[in-house]
Amino acid sequence: MAVQLGYKNVYRDPLGYPAWQEQGLPVASSPREVWETAPAPPGPVLGWSLLWTLLGVFAGGMALNLTPCVYPLIPITVSYFAGLSGGSRGRLLAHGLFYLGGLAVTNTALGVAAALTGGLMGALLQNPFVLLAVAGILLVFAASLFGLWELRLPHRVTQAATRSYAGFFGTLFMGLTLGLVAAPCIGPFVLGLLTWVASQGSVWLGFAVFFTLSLGLGLPLFFLALFSGSLEKLPRSGEWLIWVRQLMGWVLVGLAVHFIRPILPEAWGVILLGLIASAAGVHLGLLDRTTAGFRAFPWLKSGVFAAGLLVALLLVGSWALRGPGVAWQPYSEALLEEARKQQKPVIIDFYATWCAPCRELDDLTFRHPEVVKKAAQDFVMIKIDLTQKGDPQHARLLQHYQVKGVPTVVFLDAQGREITGLRLVDFLPPDRFLLRMVQAQKSEP
Amino acid sequence: MNFKRNLLLALTALLLGGAILSYQHRPLPSPVDATWADAQREAERGGYRLITTQELAARYQQEPHSVLLVDTRQDWEFMSGYIQGALHFPIEPTWWGRWRAEKPLLALLGPDKNRPVVFY
Repeated sequence: MAVQLGYKNVYRDPLGYPAWQEQGLPVASSPREVWETAPAPPGPVLGWSLLWTLLGVFAGGMALNLTPCVYPLIPITVSYFAGLSGGSRGRLLAHGLFYLGGLAVTNTALGVAAALTGGLMGALLQNPFVLLAVAGILLVFAASLFGLWELRLPHRVTQAATRSYAGFFGTLFMGLTLGLVAAPCIGPFVLGLLTWVASQGSVWLGFAVFFTLSLGLGLPLFFLALFSGSLEKLPRSGEWLIWVRQLMGWVLVGLAVHFIRPILPEAWGVILLGLIASAAGVHLGLLDRTTAGFRAFPWLKSGVFAAGLLVALLLVGSWALRGPGVAWQPYSEALLEEARKQQKPVIIDFYATWCAPCRELDDLTFRHPEVVKKAAQDFVMIKIDLTQKGDPQHARLLQHYQVKGVPTVVFLDAQGREITGLRLVDFLPPDRFLLRMVQAQKSEP
Repeated sequence: MNFKRNLLLALTALLLGGAILSYQHRPLPSPVDATWADAQREAERGGYRLITTQELAARYQQEPHSVLLVDTRQDWEFMSGYIQGALHFPIEPTWWGRWRAEKPLLALLGPDKNRPVVFY
């Protein structure tokens, strides 16, 4: 790489550090203080993943325009704008901005509220009964989207929400209330998003996610309003909107299963999700007889069919093909004694089957080849299952290590004393976990 | 016509899925297994030269600052020990990681294009 940058004397030492160290040549390692004050892991969603999340949310917001509650509103909104501005582009633009602003305020308030109560909701979300309830609600909403029952706001609310007020205030108010009018359709999606934001527990994230959602929801309307002339080109509202509803229904069913995954046996969750993806593909792509007045629709349906199959295949396939995990051992005093004799550091993982971050640790971190290798070579790995309460030995251990919840990963040095600075109480990606493993090894008596 | 298209798309999906899965689980040549000849071939393609531990050590002991040592391994590897005097510049071994590292690397290596640089 340095060659492309124009450097002439570029070498690579393929044997690298291990060979160098073996020959007793001068080496160094970072001073302990530096890496012990290594920054605590920041929130789980940052940087590129945040960008991708926001892009996804934005696309979701745009897609919500196609739901039957919002789509019919588009012509109304646009003609409303056109009427207000009296043909002036500038005023039309201003109205559009007010509209977007109003929409953003409603949604963002929701998002921030979810984030503020995040601690509470996060704790709740670890409870199996709450998980079941959330999944149940999602399924009920999904049933509504499938057309099994009709979700309606009281008539008076709908009317008040669409009543016109004069001027910019009116536009702002329309934006504010679009969220309410559209709630039956976008509610399920927004509810899912709300629970997710709450589980992340960051106010800033809540704000960003819901602001982006509003932008996605409002932008198409905004542009249509600006170019009112092109309105005739939109596909007519019709049967195919019901198909879109059913598509969102399937998304909700998938979401429901995702929520109860922590309390299902591992294989079930994956297989169930795979089944749902393929069932959705078959239903929407093959069985459904909906037609639409535009040509791309049959292709869209076939595309959804193929996409369902692909998702199912990837889900089940990557689960079946994953590599071996860390070889854990059950807790015993003898094992700790053995570790002390061999001068090996110990990692104790307190977990429960229903805890989502524990699952994540197991699926990603404790399956990373480097982690598995290092764990087998230099560590004694102990796992303690706290799913069932009431084991006296576990109670003693919880007391001893001051474990307040799951997951808790405790690092013991070669003398068997805990290195408190390294303790983990949340998911940590493999590279950061490896860093902690190295630190545990180097921790001096 | 409709049936044909669906069949075709389903097959495409299966093939694509299979391709993605086999790519994700492809056997990676671990640096330990790679022979000196492998490294030599790679070096010729990349336009750089190889240096053995002995050669490097000889240069290093003569004048430690005559070569710029760059440690490109990940954080946790660097933390567990590195050649004294080496700079740490982790590069993820993907085209994406390399692309992102380009500008900072230029700043790290400095303006002297003739200065010997050893990566490991």
